[in-house]
Amino acid sequence: MARKMIRVLLVDDEEINRVVARAALKAAGGGGDVLDEAENGAVAVQRVRDAVAAAAPYDLVLMDKQMPVMDGHEATRRIRDMGVTTPIVAVSSDGLPADVEAFITAGADDFTSKPLSKEKLGIILAKFRLT
Amino acid sequence: MKKSLFDQASILFSGLFFLSTGYLDEQFCQVEDLQDEASPNFVEEVVTLFFKDSGRLMSNIEQALEKYPRDFNRWDAYMQQLKGSCSSIGASRMKNECMSFRDSCGQGNVEGCMRSFQKVKREHAVLRQKLESYFQLLRQAGSAGAATRPVM
Repeated sequence: MARKMIRVLLVDDEEINRVVARAALKAAGGGGDVLDEAENGAVAVQRVRDAVAAAAPYDLVLMDKQMPVMDGHEATRRIRDMGVTTPIVAVSSDGLPADVEAFITAGADDFTSKPLSKEKLGIILAKFRLT
Repeated sequence: MKKSLFDQASILFSGLFFLSTGYLDEQFCQVEDLQDEASPNFVEEVVTLFFKDSGRLMSNIEQALEKYPRDFNRWDAYMQQLKGSCSSIGASRMKNECMSFRDSCGQGNVEGCMRSFQKVKREHAVLRQKLESYFQLLRQAGSAGAATRPVM
């Protein structure tokens, strides 16, 4: 059974990661989800700001770490500074404790390793009650 | 003829994955599982994107090795991107060589970096050749008009 439609912001500078994540989200039962994408942290912050202004906030943000212009840590901090409480899940191939800690300190709610899969997204959606 | 091509494709895929040659890992299966009727060529599209991305990233690394001697932080940052791209499709042997390169960066070992980068390039070329052959076989076998993995 398809779950409720959710709004997701996927932040990653690598197109291949966005393509796979898009398909994984769809496979996790969200054929009707709204999926916006941002290729760096600065674009992500603007997308979040615009979504709030449009009274259509995101239900979930998937945030890469290393990106040009603005990285995931800084983008997470700025989103939190706006007062946005949307769950932010850091997605990175570096799962070092220091890395995870840095993301949590910046305001992320959780961390998962790359690449994203249908199973990982299923766990994330369940954790934040988006199913 | 079609059955024979399927068999060849199966054997080739087995060589890539099941025979522990390690070119591809479980992540490739995850990508295949994302292919469906609405996206019948998803796997090939992702693989094509991988080779486009990885070619660009390797070119960046090559230039950085030449233009920024002993800039291990820069070299490492580029290789981290390439490693991430390899992870996306399960290119495990290539990913392992990326990790060796990053280890050499961490040790400040220029020769180690150069050696590892040559290995990265070799693994990239071999993987490209194998996957191109694989998809060509699947297309010839005419698997419902889409390049899908034969059922094992």
